[in-house]
Amino acid sequence: MCNYSERDRASMGERVALDLDLVKGFRFFDPHIHMVSRTTDDYQAMADAGVVAVIEPAFWVGQPRTGIDTFRDYYSSLIGWERFRASQFGIKHFCTIGLNSREANNEALAEAVMELLPFFIYKEGVVGVGEIGFDDQTAAEEKYYRLQLELAKDARLPVQVHTPHRDKTKGTSRSMDIAQEHGLDPGKVIIDHNTEETVKEVLERGFWAAFTIYPFTKMGNERMVEIVKQYGPERILVNSAADWGISDPLAVPKTAALMVKSGIPKEVIEQVCFKNAVAAFGQSGQLDESMLTESMVIDQGQKFEGNSILRGGQQPRRDAGSIIIS
Amino acid sequence: MKDEVDLTNKRDTDAERLANQIVRHVSDEEWGVLTDQINQLANDPQPNTLARVFTAIPRTIRSADKDLRITFDETAPVNSDQLPLLVKDWSLARLVRVWVLMNLPALEQQAYVSLIDRLFKYGEMEELVALYSALPIYHDPAAWKPRCTEGIRSNMAPVRQAIILNNHYPSRFLDEGAWNQLVLKAFFTDEDIPQIIGLKTRNNAALAGALVDYAYELHAAKRNINPFLWVLVAPFLDDRAYRLMEQLIQESEHRSTRKAVAYAFSASSFAPAADFIKENSELTDLLDTADTPWDGWLDQTD
Repeated sequence: MCNYSERDRASMGERVALDLDLVKGFRFFDPHIHMVSRTTDDYQAMADAGVVAVIEPAFWVGQPRTGIDTFRDYYSSLIGWERFRASQFGIKHFCTIGLNSREANNEALAEAVMELLPFFIYKEGVVGVGEIGFDDQTAAEEKYYRLQLELAKDARLPVQVHTPHRDKTKGTSRSMDIAQEHGLDPGKVIIDHNTEETVKEVLERGFWAAFTIYPFTKMGNERMVEIVKQYGPERILVNSAADWGISDPLAVPKTAALMVKSGIPKEVIEQVCFKNAVAAFGQSGQLDESMLTESMVIDQGQKFEGNSILRGGQQPRRDAGSIIIS
Repeated sequence: MKDEVDLTNKRDTDAERLANQIVRHVSDEEWGVLTDQINQLANDPQPNTLARVFTAIPRTIRSADKDLRITFDETAPVNSDQLPLLVKDWSLARLVRVWVLMNLPALEQQAYVSLIDRLFKYGEMEELVALYSALPIYHDPAAWKPRCTEGIRSNMAPVRQAIILNNHYPSRFLDEGAWNQLVLKAFFTDEDIPQIIGLKTRNNAALAGALVDYAYELHAAKRNINPFLWVLVAPFLDDRAYRLMEQLIQESEHRSTRKAVAYAFSASSFAPAADFIKENSELTDLLDTADTPWDGWLDQTD
């Protein structure tokens, strides 16, 4: 979500040149990214930077949908086409399925979406109900948040909770109160988009605390480094939430690189940029570490002589630095 | 009694063969769950029950080896109305899903089609692969033509491959336009062409014309042309095709292309092609089909 605030270069701190050699050999898991809005260049760059898996939470698409069929097609794309697209770059694509808070405010449509959700949440690779929670913190948002918490409980799935941008601290506490009121185990609830103001309570209450590294409007990664220094790696996750706004699909590897530069131990970085995501969302039964270590099978198939055809899991690489396109 | 498959509702020996494969790779408990579900669906195929069972297959067979790939000879259908099923490099979940579909009772057509259509509508990628693999075993086979045609348009390679490769349904049921799209799509997406069933019986002049156009387009772009294309063009050689082929047999840097064109010329009754082979006897070594994808094509019946 992008709110563009004018900031001059000087206020953005010291510029550190991109050097992903700092994280060579690391594996990353971005547990919140909206790949439907991203290009193949992003997939390629992510794979090159060591991203091996992503979770794509169901979200709104930048403007409100007006019909149930567009919801169904969107959910279908998360378990179909987008999953395939990611696999072409060797990236495992998981998703969470839910009715986002903004669109919960269209109650007639929200009712229809609720009827649709059970068809999707049991699918392979669906690792949670999400992203759900509050935006404006309206009564309708609360109603559908509660209904979806019940759905997650029945399906024994983790919950990925979007916390509001406005009135965040109170909204975050309230999100946790309601989850516990419905009997959800905080250990199966991932509270997203945390800040310095919310992290303490989230961790103390036993929830997972996810941080979104997103330019201008959410966390910057220098702040993230400080948080990991202060709170350690337990139950902390880093994500990009990259979407159709000005955002960065390399936020996780870049943050890891900054952590390396800041002297944070490798085990800690691996925990917040990979392992915690596996542990939190692995509770769905749909994801475990062995799935992420499988090497991509490249089927050379029946090659014709002199004609090497790349198949399954290998995309030809275009030369972005050349004006020649062939 | 895990080794002896005895399903009260088994449809035919096909389902039995699949069951015999499946039983080897799952635990006794999982097998018990699966057979209970099959029997329940056979007696009362509720859409919600089917959707739940079908989606949950990978969870139901959790103990099975995820990397297991199953291949076996074509099933031999008991009644000739039913197409054989070809199982090649299938995951166990795919096999179990198709087996579940085989065991559904033949309801009244509309109810049967809508029962399975709903699975297509909400299918994730692996489910779609299984659903399209099962085209040969559905009841009311002609009712699945639009679904098959639609599936060929899929952008998800595994889904498309489930229809295009090693599947008896398309060649038996698609009309010429849809069949030609299937073959053209297979060339466009670099599929292993000989794995398409019915290539020979369904080959036609319109397809050959489109393939020649495609070959010209690739040639202009200096991209490689799959040599197998010329095998399909062979029975329909004309001046336009011949011009490009004559150039390729002399200039192509790929021996497989020269061999394919030589083979097409030798199989063709088009006079300039036959003459070319006669006049260039040094090309006879190109006519050896050993280790080419078209080896045995002349004797092939489908």
